Amino acid sequence: MEELLNRMPEFENKIKSLMETIITNIVLLGQIPAPTFKEKSRVSAFLERLAEFRVDECTTDGYRNPIGIIRGTNPNRPPIFVVAHMDTPFGHDVDHNFTIKENAIYGAGLLDNSVGVGVLASLPAIFRHLGLEFESDIVLAGVIQSIGKGNLRGIRHLLKTWSTPIRGAVCIEGGELGRLNYYSDGMIRGEIKCSINRSGRRQRFQPNAILVLNEVINQILELRLPLKPRSKIIIGKIFGGLKHGQIAHEATLGFEIHSDSDEMVKSLYNEINDIVNGLGHEYEVRLELKTISNVRASRLRFNHPLVKSTIAIMRKLGLKPISEPSESELSIFLSRKIPAVTLGVSYGESYQQKSSVIKIEPMFRGIAQIIGVIAAIDSGVCDE
Amino acid sequence: MNRDWLKKNTFHCSAFGDLKRLVELKSQKELTISLCLPTLNEEKTIGKELVILKSELMTRYPLLDEIVVVDSGSTDDTRSIARAFGADVYKADDILPHLEPYKGKGENLWKALYITKGDIIVYLDADIKNIHHRFVYGLVGPLLIYDHIKYVKAFYDRPIAIGRNKIRPTGGGRVTELVIRPLFSLFFPDLTQILQPLSGEYAGFRDVFEQIPFPIGYGIETSMILDIYHKWGLDVIAQVDLEKRIHRNQDTKALGKMAFAILKTFFSRTVNLGLINFNTPLHDTMIQYNLVKSEIQPDLLTIEGLERPPIIEIPEYRQRFKRKAS
Repeated sequence: MEELLNRMPEFENKIKSLMETIITNIVLLGQIPAPTFKEKSRVSAFLERLAEFRVDECTTDGYRNPIGIIRGTNPNRPPIFVVAHMDTPFGHDVDHNFTIKENAIYGAGLLDNSVGVGVLASLPAIFRHLGLEFESDIVLAGVIQSIGKGNLRGIRHLLKTWSTPIRGAVCIEGGELGRLNYYSDGMIRGEIKCSINRSGRRQRFQPNAILVLNEVINQILELRLPLKPRSKIIIGKIFGGLKHGQIAHEATLGFEIHSDSDEMVKSLYNEINDIVNGLGHEYEVRLELKTISNVRASRLRFNHPLVKSTIAIMRKLGLKPISEPSESELSIFLSRKIPAVTLGVSYGESYQQKSSVIKIEPMFRGIAQIIGVIAAIDSGVCDE
Repeated sequence: MNRDWLKKNTFHCSAFGDLKRLVELKSQKELTISLCLPTLNEEKTIGKELVILKSELMTRYPLLDEIVVVDSGSTDDTRSIARAFGADVYKADDILPHLEPYKGKGENLWKALYITKGDIIVYLDADIKNIHHRFVYGLVGPLLIYDHIKYVKAFYDRPIAIGRNKIRPTGGGRVTELVIRPLFSLFFPDLTQILQPLSGEYAGFRDVFEQIPFPIGYGIETSMILDIYHKWGLDVIAQVDLEKRIHRNQDTKALGKMAFAILKTFFSRTVNLGLINFNTPLHDTMIQYNLVKSEIQPDLLTIEGLERPPIIEIPEYRQRFKRKAS
């Protein structure tokens, strides 16, 4: 491990010399719109890039997740997975053309997660440039249908159907450099939809869908959340109505329940379900609660060798690890008892906005840490 | 009309996607290739063009030997961004400084002949939003593969960026369809087979470019086609489908100015070729009108139709490239 740590600054410098190739991959792949469920074009381009970089096997799994496999030197070692989700929050109507200036790249979907995808596609060239060979096969997986209503379907399917054990995994996210995620909260992402049937009621006595949801929010806010197990409800999204002067007939509320206890997540979900049923009955409106996504709470210990090694690598590169729960591909690896961490590539701004920005210079440190962690897993830190 | 040309000399860029083969051909034929990007305030797109072309066509496949930016005096960060991403950056006025300086794309392209070293020169506009290395290999491919082809012109399915987030699926080419195509149909029907004669991307052998004059401004594309056609015939020209090109849309008024410059170039060429004769000289001023506070005011722009001579006539050039005066 000490030898690996000593090589980290050298990795960073050498990766810098591949700047054009890495940025090119980010741009060529990131400029292809890939809203969740419509990632096909980006998937094809990703596979083409892997093939161009002479990856040993390029294919898709049964769910059309694109996968590249770099064969390792020891067939007895289980593979190491490196994953980045292919989908971004923006549709085809959004301009995906990026701008590159001296120190930064600008464009929609960069941080979440075009940079991650571009870096994933660059890894074969980077490994070759650094002269790295691994004992394990390296499985480069761009997973589809990850965010929002995708509900991590891509990674769930990939791991469910993968027939052999997996040694460990690194999940790549565009931002933020310094993040080290090694645990996931239990989470349910839900949507409450209020619809009001217009027929049979006089306009002036109609309930207002927005006001009904407002009452739902008030009652959710009255719920008592324990400090232990740590729990929270995030009201993240609301939309409804058509015109300023017309009662809203439809409105939708998006929320997430997080807790480090799966039981608490379920209990809070049931309480919200009771609120929804009660208010639907009282207001005589159609009030529906739907689950969009859920993950179970799972974690590595702080003293797990993968976490310890990752922290050492980050510190060697001058990074201060910041750890928060992450409900993402990481959750699915951890729930299957596969040691995994999520790392960020660089610093940026406007994370999930059309105008997101990522800084170029720190990116090389971000990639160096990813390479370091892959090398650490290959050296056996997950083989306990 | 020679209709065979369209079939024989029209290609799709995918036919030239085997970069390894192109690099081998270039090496076998002992050729060097220069890319020139003429710029004026292109900070939004220049970085991306350089990064992608350098990565794919210099680092990964050594198809290009140099990338040169010739700038008309940008007031934004175009030059510093270009330098940061490894291009050789020149201000047009600093090249052959003893000559009277002019401003215009044609001026930059002409001066690029002096500072570049390649046997093949590729010219790309610097405002391409969806730049991809096919823009270069698609143009270079026919020159490397077919010995009779000396000049390659791009054509596209052209969506135009309108506003910040919207892309219109068709459009563009208004000056082509309303000005150039009718003129070619009237005077040079063979040339109507060139689908987008005004596209800003083309490549050719230095031997060709050095022997033709370069108008300073918008007329450069038209004059280039007419001169090459007149001097070497249609068969040395090819066109390549480079698929989509996303660029800035220009308003009708700006296109009017462009059309004026192109018409001037066209008529001066046809007069020189003895195809038509005017009894009165052509005027130099494009007159458009603006409505300012209920008053209609003329908006005048003088476009003199200046041209640089074939660069082989410039002694410094002949000395640098060891050419003899023609």
